[in-house]
Amino acid sequence: MARSSDVLDLSRQEAGLSHGELWLRYFALGGMSTALELEAFLYGALEPSSHDHDVIAHALNERFVELGGNHPVPYAEDGNHPVPYAEDGNRDDS
Amino acid sequence: MAVGSGPLADFGISASFAGERAILGIRGDVDTANAPVLGALFDAVIASGYPSVLMDLPDPDSIDAVGLAVTAGAASRLVALGGHLTIRFSSTGVARIFDIGWMAELISRALRGTSEDQLAPEQTTSEFAAVAARDPAPNLRAVTGHSASEDVVNGALGLVVALARATVGGADGASVTLRRRGQLATVAASDDTISDMDANQYATGEGPCIDATVEGRWFHAESLEHETRWPAFSPRARSLGISAILSSPLLANGQPVGALNIYSRTALAFAAKEQELAAVFAAEASRVLTAALALDDHMTERLQEALRTRELIAEAQGVIMARQGVGENEAFDILRHLSQTTNRSLRERAEAVVASTQPTAPNPDPLPPAAR
Repeated sequence: MARSSDVLDLSRQEAGLSHGELWLRYFALGGMSTALELEAFLYGALEPSSHDHDVIAHALNERFVELGGNHPVPYAEDGNHPVPYAEDGNRDDS
Repeated sequence: MAVGSGPLADFGISASFAGERAILGIRGDVDTANAPVLGALFDAVIASGYPSVLMDLPDPDSIDAVGLAVTAGAASRLVALGGHLTIRFSSTGVARIFDIGWMAELISRALRGTSEDQLAPEQTTSEFAAVAARDPAPNLRAVTGHSASEDVVNGALGLVVALARATVGGADGASVTLRRRGQLATVAASDDTISDMDANQYATGEGPCIDATVEGRWFHAESLEHETRWPAFSPRARSLGISAILSSPLLANGQPVGALNIYSRTALAFAAKEQELAAVFAAEASRVLTAALALDDHMTERLQEALRTRELIAEAQGVIMARQGVGENEAFDILRHLSQTTNRSLRERAEAVVASTQPTAPNPDPLPPAAR
């Protein structure tokens, strides 16, 4: 099963964003994690909360829209999200 | 991998990789003829995503000015990517002269600090209080205010000083003087005696490093014993054992902003060859300073723009939270849905929500039925 970090970091590479660039976009959208923490999410060393995942995913999706695409990165609440988030006990991902 | 045949037979580079670190082992001298090979290898290593490079050199004399320029360029790029370059001289075991990794650390450190006194007034009122209390934005302002690239510049200038000290013949010390916020200061020095030398110039208000910084041209004190231009400073320098000084101007965008100073205990130590080498280092330091100026402007602009977007979104979240009695994250989800379904950016949606609170807004309520 694909991990959240794999999905996000692969999308980041496809979107042509550096870690720093993605962090700035994430920060602009209200993200609360530091640049180092964001890198840890992407490397899989830390697991983002579902909200953090969504902010990162949206930052990436806005980039894809800029490039003429759609919203290819799944949000945490999408049923097909690969990772059942620990913080979302009330959410049925199946 | 090894490079080296024909005219480059005495020169070779071995590359090995350990985790995130690439190790380049240099055999023979890096000179004008083969420096491009080293440059190409650096390019390949950096392009392959190795943030950390260790370069093994036989000794400090085995690399010439062009090789150093290539190395310094690679170091700047690694630093810009958040990595670092370590240079190790095999003649002295592990004499690590330089090792910096600043970017992520700097941003992270700055954001972890707190400075509540800089909260914007509108952030401390009404429904936005919950968002503002956790908002790291004031710290980001602190970063831009203090010029985030200052650490970078100091690191790069430290490299220039270390390399100048190690490679300019007769050099017993080197330093960089910069004018920052109207004051002259030594931002990199090879040792305390050299820092004292610079301090004596600032204290007496005279000396080659001051003149080079102010006038933007070279000042060369060939022998302080016969020097007459700086009567207050020269005796102090001689008492610290210094006999010759070469100060080269540093320019940022063509404007003089500082000086690279090289000191020797030997009179007449700096001949044409040494002056040429000093010029190479001064040019490299000037390039760093010019790039830093541009980076500073660009980063400040980007950060301010990100900050404006962030504040708008926080404000829109506050409006939605107050209107619909939902939490901060739910308010974000509502904005995100709006953005996703209309293919407009979250910032634009946030602007519309904030505008809807104005009595004269042309579109009084941009929220769709689902969000009401």
